[in-house]
Amino acid sequence: MSDILIDDRIRDWVFLPIIIVMFMIQMFRGLLTKYMDNRKTSQKVTSKAQLAEMIDKNITQQSQRLARLHGLLPDQSFKMKRAHLCDHESGILTKASQKPAKDPMQSMSMMNPAAMADMLKQNLSGIIFMALQYQWVSYFFSGFVIGKVPFPLTQKFRTMLQRGVDVQNLDVRYISSISIYFVLLFGGLQKIQQLMFGDDNDEFVDDTQMQMQMQMMGMPTMPSLGQQNDPGKLFIAERTRLEGVKHTFELNKSQDKAMKSLKRFLMQ
Amino acid sequence: MEEPKIELDDLEVNQERLKQNTNQLKNLRVYGSLNAGIIAGILGMDGWIGIAIYVVIFLMVSACLAIKMNFKVKEYFRSSYDAYYSGIGTDLLLFLMIWVIFHNLVNIL
Repeated sequence: MSDILIDDRIRDWVFLPIIIVMFMIQMFRGLLTKYMDNRKTSQKVTSKAQLAEMIDKNITQQSQRLARLHGLLPDQSFKMKRAHLCDHESGILTKASQKPAKDPMQSMSMMNPAAMADMLKQNLSGIIFMALQYQWVSYFFSGFVIGKVPFPLTQKFRTMLQRGVDVQNLDVRYISSISIYFVLLFGGLQKIQQLMFGDDNDEFVDDTQMQMQMQMMGMPTMPSLGQQNDPGKLFIAERTRLEGVKHTFELNKSQDKAMKSLKRFLMQ
Repeated sequence: MEEPKIELDDLEVNQERLKQNTNQLKNLRVYGSLNAGIIAGILGMDGWIGIAIYVVIFLMVSACLAIKMNFKVKEYFRSSYDAYYSGIGTDLLLFLMIWVIFHNLVNIL
């Protein structure tokens, strides 16, 4: 099969514009998220139910932190902190675990206003741009071949890579413009954007990639916004975990550790 | 019952510096895949040879990193697997994208 010669004008008016436009839109999205993040004020607690939920979250954070970092505390302090949380009558965890379980309908409506608005905004900004670009590319640049992929592919990729080009015997390597769109989308304009914007946008990139994957798979998932059904059980679990912690104060071992590292250092 | 020592090892590692190091490494890897894509595209490599170039350049970047660290991985990263081999799959897509673009720009269009 002989090679196809592609006109110079395709490169000037199709290939490069698609790349440049997609890159610009990606940068614009980055700036937009930065702007949105700056404008977002801190979350205010708007209802009593939300306040109770915040309190629960803080209690679990406190007990988890104690369970994780107990080595930093001397014996007496640790025992006092643990008693404050786990005591039989007056400990915070025991009191909290005696609250009745919330039913799911009620708990979902509690989180709706603040969290849903944020999720909607993020989803919209992602989906709208993707859909817009797809429409633009497939409206203006369909029906012809744009380039060639450097690696051999099977026939199964033909429908994806050559949409709009109906020549049956054409080598699967020749691709149409929509496939350049897909390559750019998945390939990682985000990574290059990351290079430009520096370290601030790390969390942003992870979120959108995760979101894109979720959309691609078609699963609508609610991000886990904490225990919804039974906080009592969680508190009981935390309490048993704290009570089972075997506490040693790390300062007691620190002399041995210092000896070891000094020896290692001197021997080098 | 033996307690896992993992949490306290986290205390001994300086988190801020580890994060800085991993960020720098990520940036470095992105530059590496960009360059590998440009090389593979301009030279007109085909098929598996291109992917081999990506792996070769990735390992070269890891080797340069090792020389810069004087081979003492533990002082800069968690483990040698992390520092040398961990991100090879994620940057592969970036390499493919740059490869396709430059291959088309230089050889075909």
